[in-house]
Amino acid sequence: MSTADPADAAGPAGRAGPEDGGLEGGIRRYAGAGSSCALRVAGNPGGIIFLADGGICGCQTPGAPGLEVILLRSGRLTEADWEAAFSSAAAGGRSLTEELVRRDLLGAGEAEALLRTALADAIFAVLAGRVDGWAEAAADCPMPLAPPARPGWLLGESIRRRQALAALAGPPVSPRDRVTAASPGAWRQAASWPDAGQLELLGLCNGRRTVRDLAFARGSGLYATLLELARLRDRGLVAIAADGAESVSPSRSSGIPSDAGESDRTVAGLPGRHADHASGTPRTGTAGRRYLAAGIQLLRPRSSGSALPGGHRDPPS
Amino acid sequence: MAEDALLAEMQALREKVAGITGTAVASLDGLIVREDTGGVNPDNLAALSATWLSIAQRMSNEVGQGVLREAMTRSSRGSVAIYAIGGRAVLVVIGDEGLDTDRLRRECQPALDAMRVLIAGDSPHAQAH
Repeated sequence: MSTADPADAAGPAGRAGPEDGGLEGGIRRYAGAGSSCALRVAGNPGGIIFLADGGICGCQTPGAPGLEVILLRSGRLTEADWEAAFSSAAAGGRSLTEELVRRDLLGAGEAEALLRTALADAIFAVLAGRVDGWAEAAADCPMPLAPPARPGWLLGESIRRRQALAALAGPPVSPRDRVTAASPGAWRQAASWPDAGQLELLGLCNGRRTVRDLAFARGSGLYATLLELARLRDRGLVAIAADGAESVSPSRSSGIPSDAGESDRTVAGLPGRHADHASGTPRTGTAGRRYLAAGIQLLRPRSSGSALPGGHRDPPS
Repeated sequence: MAEDALLAEMQALREKVAGITGTAVASLDGLIVREDTGGVNPDNLAALSATWLSIAQRMSNEVGQGVLREAMTRSSRGSVAIYAIGGRAVLVVIGDEGLDTDRLRRECQPALDAMRVLIAGDSPHAQAH
Protein backbone atom coordinates (compact mmCIF):
# COMPACT_ATOMS: atom_id res chain seq x y z
CA MET A 1 0.00 0.00 0.00
CA SER A 2 1.31 3.41 -0.88
CA THR A 3 2.05 5.63 2.05
CA ALA A 4 2.24 8.99 0.37
CA ASP A 5 1.57 11.77 2.82
CA PRO A 6 -0.86 14.41 1.63
CA ALA A 7 1.35 17.02 3.19
CA ASP A 8 4.17 16.28 0.79
CA ALA A 9 2.28 14.70 -2.07
CA ALA A 10 1.16 17.53 -4.25
CA GLY A 11 0.91 15.36 -7.32
CA PRO A 12 -1.68 12.66 -6.72
CA ALA A 13 -4.40 14.94 -5.45
CA GLY A 14 -7.61 16.18 -6.95
CA ARG A 15 -10.45 18.55 -6.56
CA ALA A 16 -14.09 17.92 -7.03
CA GLY A 17 -14.43 19.73 -10.33
CA PRO A 18 -16.57 18.12 -12.99
CA GLU A 19 -13.93 18.70 -15.66
CA ASP A 20 -11.99 15.66 -14.53
CA GLY A 21 -14.94 13.57 -13.49
CA GLY A 22 -14.78 14.63 -9.86
CA LEU A 23 -13.96 12.09 -7.22
CA GLU A 24 -15.54 9.31 -9.26
CA GLY A 25 -13.17 10.12 -12.08
CA GLY A 26 -10.24 10.18 -9.70
CA ILE A 27 -11.15 6.77 -8.28
CA ARG A 28 -11.49 5.34 -11.77
CA ARG A 29 -8.06 6.65 -12.72
CA TYR A 30 -6.44 5.19 -9.60
CA ALA A 31 -8.24 1.93 -10.19
CA GLY A 32 -7.23 1.89 -13.85
CA ALA A 33 -3.61 2.23 -12.80
CA GLY A 34 -3.97 -0.76 -10.47
CA SER A 35 -3.14 1.42 -7.48
CA SER A 36 -2.90 0.29 -3.88
CA CYS A 37 -3.27 3.35 -1.71
CA ALA A 38 -5.56 5.35 0.53
CA LEU A 39 -7.38 8.45 -0.65
CA ARG A 40 -8.38 10.94 1.99
CA VAL A 41 -11.48 12.75 0.79
CA ALA A 42 -12.04 16.24 2.16
CA GLY A 43 -15.62 17.36 2.42
CA ASN A 44 -18.73 16.59 4.34
CA PRO A 45 -18.84 13.84 5.46
CA GLY A 46 -15.62 13.01 3.62
CA GLY A 47 -13.67 9.92 4.52
CA ILE A 48 -10.86 7.63 3.48
CA ILE A 49 -11.16 5.27 0.53
CA PHE A 50 -8.77 2.32 0.44
CA LEU A 51 -7.69 0.78 -2.84
CA ALA A 52 -5.89 -2.53 -3.29
CA ASP A 53 -4.58 -3.62 -6.68
CA GLY A 54 -7.02 -1.29 -8.40
CA GLY A 55 -10.03 -2.49 -6.41
CA ILE A 56 -11.71 -0.78 -3.48
CA CYS A 57 -11.19 -2.73 -0.27
CA GLY A 58 -12.54 -0.33 2.32
CA CYS A 59 -13.96 3.08 3.11
CA GLN A 60 -14.07 4.84 6.45
CA THR A 61 -16.41 7.80 6.78
CA PRO A 62 -18.23 9.59 9.57
CA GLY A 63 -21.23 9.52 7.26
CA ALA A 64 -22.11 5.84 7.42
CA PRO A 65 -21.76 3.10 10.03
CA GLY A 66 -18.97 0.63 9.52
CA LEU A 67 -19.04 -3.09 10.17
CA GLU A 68 -18.34 -2.74 13.89
CA VAL A 69 -21.28 -0.42 14.43
CA ILE A 70 -23.56 -2.57 12.29
CA LEU A 71 -22.67 -5.74 14.16
CA LEU A 72 -22.72 -4.30 17.66
CA ARG A 73 -25.61 -1.87 17.48
CA SER A 74 -27.83 -4.40 15.77
CA GLY A 75 -27.02 -6.95 18.48
CA ARG A 76 -25.56 -9.34 15.95
CA LEU A 77 -22.42 -9.58 18.09
CA THR A 78 -21.85 -8.82 21.73
CA GLU A 79 -19.25 -6.28 22.73
CA ALA A 80 -17.42 -8.98 24.68
CA ASP A 81 -17.16 -11.16 21.55
CA TRP A 82 -15.98 -8.22 19.50
CA GLU A 83 -13.36 -7.16 22.02
CA ALA A 84 -12.07 -10.71 22.39
CA ALA A 85 -11.78 -11.09 18.63
CA PHE A 86 -10.11 -7.69 18.33
CA SER A 87 -7.50 -8.53 20.96
CA SER A 88 -6.84 -11.97 19.52
CA ALA A 89 -6.52 -10.63 15.97
CA ALA A 90 -4.07 -7.97 17.10
CA ALA A 91 -2.01 -10.47 19.07
CA GLY A 92 -2.03 -13.04 16.28
CA GLY A 93 -1.38 -10.62 13.45
CA ARG A 94 -4.60 -11.64 11.72
CA SER A 95 -7.25 -9.42 10.23
CA LEU A 96 -10.27 -8.86 12.43
CA THR A 97 -12.54 -10.33 9.80
CA GLU A 98 -10.50 -13.54 9.74
CA GLU A 99 -10.66 -13.71 13.50
CA LEU A 100 -14.42 -13.25 13.58
CA VAL A 101 -14.77 -16.11 11.12
CA ARG A 102 -12.25 -18.24 13.00
CA ARG A 103 -14.30 -17.85 16.16
CA ASP A 104 -17.51 -18.78 14.34
CA LEU A 105 -18.95 -15.41 15.14
CA LEU A 106 -19.52 -14.83 11.43
CA GLY A 107 -19.58 -17.16 8.47
CA ALA A 108 -16.95 -16.52 5.83
CA GLY A 109 -19.54 -15.62 3.23
CA GLU A 110 -21.48 -13.59 5.72
CA ALA A 111 -18.42 -11.56 6.69
CA GLU A 112 -17.67 -10.78 3.06
CA ALA A 113 -21.28 -9.87 2.33
CA LEU A 114 -21.49 -7.59 5.35
CA LEU A 115 -18.20 -5.89 4.49
CA ARG A 116 -19.29 -5.44 0.88
CA THR A 117 -22.63 -3.97 1.96
CA ALA A 118 -21.00 -1.62 4.46
CA LEU A 119 -18.47 -0.58 1.82
CA ALA A 120 -21.17 0.25 -0.72
CA ASP A 121 -22.98 2.26 1.93
CA ALA A 122 -19.83 4.17 2.90
CA ILE A 123 -18.94 5.00 -0.71
CA PHE A 124 -22.51 6.16 -1.24
CA ALA A 125 -22.26 8.40 1.84
CA VAL A 126 -19.02 9.98 0.66
CA LEU A 127 -20.18 10.55 -2.91
CA ALA A 128 -23.63 11.77 -1.90
CA GLY A 129 -22.05 14.38 0.35
CA ARG A 130 -19.92 17.39 -0.43
CA VAL A 131 -16.51 16.58 -1.90
CA ASP A 132 -13.94 19.37 -1.68
CA GLY A 133 -10.96 17.40 -2.89
CA TRP A 134 -8.84 14.37 -2.20
CA ALA A 135 -5.24 13.30 -1.78
CA GLU A 136 -3.27 10.18 -1.10
CA ALA A 137 -2.88 9.56 2.58
CA ALA A 138 -0.90 7.30 4.84
CA ALA A 139 -3.52 4.99 6.28
CA ASP A 140 -4.15 1.27 6.53
CA CYS A 141 -7.54 -0.28 5.99
CA PRO A 142 -8.64 -1.77 9.32
CA MET A 143 -10.95 -4.40 7.82
CA PRO A 144 -10.14 -4.87 4.13
CA LEU A 145 -12.61 -6.59 1.85
CA ALA A 146 -11.01 -9.52 0.08
CA PRO A 147 -11.19 -9.70 -2.83
CA PRO A 148 -11.65 -5.94 -3.26
CA ALA A 149 -14.81 -4.65 -4.89
CA ARG A 150 -14.72 -3.51 -8.49
CA PRO A 151 -14.80 0.31 -8.52
CA GLY A 152 -17.18 0.29 -11.48
CA TRP A 153 -19.75 -1.66 -9.50
CA LEU A 154 -19.38 0.47 -6.39
CA LEU A 155 -19.57 3.77 -8.25
CA GLY A 156 -22.51 2.55 -10.31
CA GLU A 157 -24.30 1.39 -7.17
CA SER A 158 -23.78 4.81 -5.61
CA ILE A 159 -25.32 6.48 -8.65
CA ARG A 160 -28.23 4.04 -8.65
CA ARG A 161 -28.94 4.77 -4.99
CA ARG A 162 -28.91 8.51 -5.53
CA GLN A 163 -31.27 8.13 -8.48
CA ALA A 164 -33.57 5.89 -6.45
CA LEU A 165 -33.77 8.47 -3.68
CA ALA A 166 -34.36 11.28 -6.15
CA ALA A 167 -37.23 9.32 -7.68
CA LEU A 168 -39.10 9.02 -4.37
CA ALA A 169 -42.17 11.12 -3.82
CA GLY A 170 -41.75 14.32 -1.84
CA PRO A 171 -38.71 16.46 -1.22
CA PRO A 172 -35.37 14.66 -1.30
CA VAL A 173 -34.15 13.34 2.03
CA SER A 174 -30.59 14.17 2.99
CA PRO A 175 -28.41 12.32 5.51
CA ARG A 176 -28.12 15.58 7.45
CA ASP A 177 -31.86 16.16 7.76
CA ARG A 178 -33.31 15.87 11.25
CA VAL A 179 -36.24 13.61 11.86
CA THR A 180 -39.14 13.86 14.29
CA ALA A 181 -41.67 11.09 14.87
CA ALA A 182 -45.32 11.99 14.56
CA SER A 183 -47.44 11.57 17.65
CA PRO A 184 -48.93 8.11 18.17
CA GLY A 185 -52.29 9.70 17.42
CA ALA A 186 -51.14 10.23 13.87
CA TRP A 187 -50.12 6.60 13.61
CA ARG A 188 -53.74 5.54 13.91
CA GLN A 189 -54.49 7.51 10.78
CA ALA A 190 -51.75 5.75 8.84
CA ALA A 191 -52.76 3.02 6.42
CA SER A 192 -50.97 0.43 8.49
CA TRP A 193 -49.59 0.29 12.00
CA PRO A 194 -45.77 0.50 12.17
CA ASP A 195 -44.05 -2.83 12.58
CA ALA A 196 -41.58 -3.56 15.38
CA GLY A 197 -38.55 -2.30 13.46
CA GLN A 198 -40.34 0.87 12.46
CA LEU A 199 -41.49 1.43 16.03
CA GLU A 200 -37.89 1.15 17.17
CA LEU A 201 -36.85 3.67 14.55
CA LEU A 202 -39.71 6.02 15.43
CA GLY A 203 -38.65 5.88 19.06
CA LEU A 204 -35.28 7.29 18.05
CA CYS A 205 -36.67 10.10 15.88
CA ASN A 206 -36.54 12.85 18.48
CA GLY A 207 -35.90 15.83 16.23
CA ARG A 208 -32.25 16.02 17.27
CA ARG A 209 -30.99 13.04 15.36
CA THR A 210 -30.17 13.31 11.71
CA VAL A 211 -30.80 10.48 9.26
CA ARG A 212 -27.11 9.69 9.56
CA ASP A 213 -27.36 9.66 13.38
CA LEU A 214 -30.30 7.26 13.17
CA ALA A 215 -28.32 4.89 10.96
CA PHE A 216 -25.57 4.82 13.59
CA ALA A 217 -28.00 4.50 16.49
CA ARG A 218 -29.68 1.47 14.92
CA GLY A 219 -26.65 -0.08 13.31
CA SER A 220 -28.27 -0.05 9.90
CA GLY A 221 -27.05 1.28 6.59
CA LEU A 222 -27.38 4.93 5.68
CA TYR A 223 -29.13 4.20 2.40
CA ALA A 224 -31.56 1.78 4.02
CA THR A 225 -32.32 4.37 6.70
CA LEU A 226 -32.88 7.09 4.10
CA LEU A 227 -35.31 4.86 2.22
CA GLU A 228 -37.17 3.78 5.32
CA LEU A 229 -37.57 7.33 6.59
CA ALA A 230 -38.77 8.56 3.22
CA ARG A 231 -41.45 5.85 3.30
CA LEU A 232 -42.41 6.67 6.88
CA ARG A 233 -42.72 10.31 5.88
CA ASP A 234 -45.05 9.35 3.07
CA ARG A 235 -47.23 7.58 5.64
CA GLY A 236 -47.26 10.65 7.85
CA LEU A 237 -45.29 8.93 10.60
CA VAL A 238 -42.28 11.26 10.65
CA ALA A 239 -41.52 14.86 9.80
CA ILE A 240 -38.18 15.54 8.17
CA ALA A 241 -36.64 18.95 8.68
CA ALA A 242 -34.18 20.10 6.06
CA ASP A 243 -30.48 20.19 6.81
CA GLY A 244 -29.68 22.79 9.42
CA ALA A 245 -33.18 23.11 10.84
CA GLU A 246 -34.05 21.63 14.18
CA SER A 247 -37.63 20.77 14.89
CA VAL A 248 -37.58 20.63 18.68
CA SER A 249 -36.32 22.96 21.34
CA PRO A 250 -33.01 21.37 22.06
CA SER A 251 -32.19 22.14 25.59
CA ARG A 252 -33.42 22.95 28.97
CA SER A 253 -32.08 26.08 30.58
CA SER A 254 -29.30 25.65 33.01
CA GLY A 255 -31.57 27.08 35.65
CA ILE A 256 -29.23 29.98 36.07
CA PRO A 257 -31.13 33.22 36.61
CA SER A 258 -30.22 35.73 33.96
CA ASP A 259 -29.89 38.44 36.57
CA ALA A 260 -27.65 36.35 38.73
CA GLY A 261 -25.97 38.49 41.30
CA GLU A 262 -22.49 38.27 42.59
CA SER A 263 -23.49 35.58 45.04
CA ASP A 264 -24.66 33.42 42.13
CA ARG A 265 -21.24 33.24 40.64
CA THR A 266 -18.69 30.60 41.14
CA VAL A 267 -15.08 31.26 41.80
CA ALA A 268 -14.51 30.72 38.09
CA GLY A 269 -16.63 33.71 37.34
CA LEU A 270 -19.43 31.63 35.93
CA PRO A 271 -22.96 31.56 37.24
CA GLY A 272 -24.06 28.28 38.64
CA ARG A 273 -26.47 26.59 40.97
CA HIS A 274 -25.53 26.39 44.58
CA ALA A 275 -26.85 23.09 45.73
CA ASP A 276 -24.42 20.23 45.63
CA HIS A 277 -26.23 17.46 43.79
CA ALA A 278 -25.17 14.76 46.17
CA SER A 279 -25.46 16.46 49.50
CA GLY A 280 -27.60 19.50 48.95
CA THR A 281 -24.87 21.67 50.41
CA PRO A 282 -23.30 24.59 48.62
CA ARG A 283 -20.57 23.64 46.21
CA THR A 284 -17.81 26.16 46.43
CA GLY A 285 -14.68 24.14 45.84
CA THR A 286 -11.93 25.14 43.50
CA ALA A 287 -9.13 22.79 44.41
CA GLY A 288 -8.42 19.69 42.38
CA ARG A 289 -9.02 17.56 45.43
CA ARG A 290 -12.59 18.75 45.53
CA TYR A 291 -13.06 18.01 41.84
CA LEU A 292 -11.74 14.58 42.45
CA ALA A 293 -14.07 14.05 45.40
CA ALA A 294 -17.06 15.10 43.31
CA GLY A 295 -16.01 12.78 40.51
CA ILE A 296 -15.44 9.85 42.84
CA GLN A 297 -18.85 10.44 44.38
CA LEU A 298 -20.35 10.14 40.92
CA LEU A 299 -18.39 7.04 40.13
CA ARG A 300 -19.67 5.15 43.17
CA PRO A 301 -22.26 2.47 42.42
CA ARG A 302 -25.79 3.60 42.94
CA SER A 303 -26.25 0.94 45.58
CA SER A 304 -23.82 2.86 47.77
CA GLY A 305 -26.57 5.33 48.47
CA SER A 306 -25.81 8.08 45.98
CA ALA A 307 -28.76 10.36 45.52
CA LEU A 308 -27.72 11.06 41.96
CA PRO A 309 -29.88 9.97 39.10
CA GLY A 310 -28.54 7.63 36.45
CA GLY A 311 -26.33 8.91 33.71
CA HIS A 312 -28.93 8.57 30.98
CA ARG A 313 -32.49 9.52 30.47
CA ASP A 314 -34.95 8.22 27.99
CA PRO A 315 -34.88 10.08 24.74
CA PRO A 316 -37.38 12.91 24.71
CA SER A 317 -40.68 11.84 23.28
CA MET B 1 -24.54 36.07 30.16
CA ALA B 2 -25.62 35.68 26.62
CA GLU B 3 -26.64 32.14 27.37
CA ASP B 4 -28.54 31.79 24.15
CA ALA B 5 -25.43 32.86 22.27
CA LEU B 6 -23.47 30.20 24.14
CA LEU B 7 -26.09 27.59 23.34
CA ALA B 8 -26.07 28.74 19.73
CA GLU B 9 -22.30 28.17 19.59
CA MET B 10 -22.75 24.68 21.02
CA GLN B 11 -25.50 23.83 18.57
CA ALA B 12 -23.53 25.26 15.67
CA LEU B 13 -20.67 22.95 16.57
CA ARG B 14 -23.07 19.99 16.59
CA GLU B 15 -24.35 21.06 13.17
CA LYS B 16 -20.87 21.29 11.71
CA VAL B 17 -19.37 18.06 12.98
CA ALA B 18 -20.88 14.72 12.03
CA GLY B 19 -21.35 12.41 14.96
CA ILE B 20 -21.77 14.92 17.77
CA THR B 21 -24.75 13.78 19.82
CA GLY B 22 -24.52 16.33 22.58
CA THR B 23 -22.54 19.17 24.10
CA ALA B 24 -22.37 20.90 27.46
CA VAL B 25 -20.46 23.72 29.09
CA ALA B 26 -19.64 23.38 32.77
CA SER B 27 -17.90 25.62 35.24
CA LEU B 28 -14.60 24.50 36.68
CA ASP B 29 -16.25 23.58 39.94
CA GLY B 30 -18.54 21.17 38.20
CA LEU B 31 -21.77 23.06 37.73
CA ILE B 32 -23.64 23.01 34.47
CA VAL B 33 -23.70 26.32 32.63
CA ARG B 34 -25.48 25.31 29.45
CA GLU B 35 -26.37 21.93 28.07
CA ASP B 36 -27.51 20.39 24.84
CA THR B 37 -26.82 16.81 25.79
CA GLY B 38 -29.75 15.04 24.22
CA GLY B 39 -30.55 12.85 27.19
CA VAL B 40 -27.31 12.50 29.12
CA ASN B 41 -27.65 13.75 32.68
CA PRO B 42 -26.08 17.22 32.51
CA ASP B 43 -25.34 17.57 36.22
CA ASN B 44 -23.36 14.36 36.37
CA LEU B 45 -21.65 15.29 33.14
CA ALA B 46 -20.64 18.69 34.50
CA ALA B 47 -19.18 17.32 37.72
CA LEU B 48 -17.25 14.60 35.93
CA SER B 49 -15.98 16.98 33.26
CA ALA B 50 -14.57 19.43 35.77
CA THR B 51 -12.81 16.60 37.56
CA TRP B 52 -11.56 15.13 34.33
CA LEU B 53 -10.24 18.47 33.07
CA SER B 54 -8.33 19.01 36.29
CA ILE B 55 -6.77 15.55 36.13
CA ALA B 56 -5.99 15.82 32.43
CA GLN B 57 -4.29 19.18 32.91
CA ARG B 58 -2.25 17.77 35.78
CA MET B 59 -1.27 14.84 33.60
CA SER B 60 -0.10 17.16 30.84
CA ASN B 61 1.93 19.13 33.35
CA GLU B 62 3.32 16.05 35.00
CA VAL B 63 4.73 14.67 31.77
CA GLY B 64 5.89 18.06 30.57
CA GLN B 65 3.68 18.17 27.49
CA GLY B 66 2.50 21.75 27.76
CA VAL B 67 -1.01 23.07 27.52
CA LEU B 68 -3.82 20.53 27.38
CA ARG B 69 -5.63 20.75 24.07
CA GLU B 70 -8.08 17.91 24.38
CA ALA B 71 -8.86 14.88 26.50
CA MET B 72 -10.88 12.10 24.96
CA THR B 73 -12.32 8.75 25.89
CA ARG B 74 -13.18 6.34 23.11
CA SER B 75 -15.58 3.56 23.96
CA SER B 76 -17.36 0.83 22.08
CA ARG B 77 -20.35 3.08 21.55
CA GLY B 78 -18.78 6.46 21.04
CA SER B 79 -16.46 9.12 22.34
CA VAL B 80 -16.42 11.95 24.84
CA ALA B 81 -14.00 14.84 24.55
CA ILE B 82 -13.37 17.84 26.77
CA TYR B 83 -11.71 21.17 26.07
CA ALA B 84 -10.82 23.98 28.41
CA ILE B 85 -12.62 27.23 27.66
CA GLY B 86 -9.91 29.62 28.72
CA GLY B 87 -9.37 29.18 32.44
CA ARG B 88 -13.03 29.37 33.32
CA ALA B 89 -15.03 26.48 31.99
CA VAL B 90 -14.96 23.21 30.16
CA LEU B 91 -16.67 22.19 26.94
CA VAL B 92 -17.85 18.59 26.77
CA VAL B 93 -18.53 16.99 23.41
CA ILE B 94 -20.31 13.64 23.22
CA GLY B 95 -20.11 11.70 19.98
CA ASP B 96 -21.20 8.43 18.49
CA GLU B 97 -18.94 5.81 16.92
CA GLY B 98 -18.64 7.83 13.74
CA LEU B 99 -17.64 11.11 15.35
CA ASP B 100 -15.56 13.06 12.83
CA THR B 101 -12.62 13.79 15.12
CA ASP B 102 -10.60 15.55 12.43
CA ARG B 103 -13.38 18.01 11.78
CA LEU B 104 -14.09 18.32 15.49
CA ARG B 105 -10.53 19.48 16.10
CA ARG B 106 -10.74 21.95 13.23
CA GLU B 107 -14.08 23.39 14.25
CA CYS B 108 -13.51 23.35 17.98
CA GLN B 109 -10.92 26.08 18.20
CA PRO B 110 -13.02 28.91 16.76
CA ALA B 111 -15.97 27.68 18.81
CA LEU B 112 -13.87 27.69 21.98
CA ASP B 113 -12.62 31.18 21.19
CA ALA B 114 -16.18 32.43 20.78
CA MET B 115 -17.31 30.70 23.96
CA ARG B 116 -14.40 32.14 25.88
CA VAL B 117 -15.38 35.64 24.80
CA LEU B 118 -19.02 35.03 25.72
CA ILE B 119 -18.12 33.69 29.14
CA ALA B 120 -15.51 36.37 29.82
CA GLY B 121 -18.03 39.00 28.83
CA ASP B 122 -20.28 37.75 31.57
CA SER B 123 -17.71 37.67 34.33
CA PRO B 124 -17.78 40.43 36.97
CA HIS B 125 -14.20 41.26 36.06
CA ALA B 126 -15.07 41.85 32.43
CA GLN B 127 -18.19 43.81 33.27
CA ALA B 128 -16.14 46.15 35.43
CA HIS B 129 -14.14 47.23 32.39
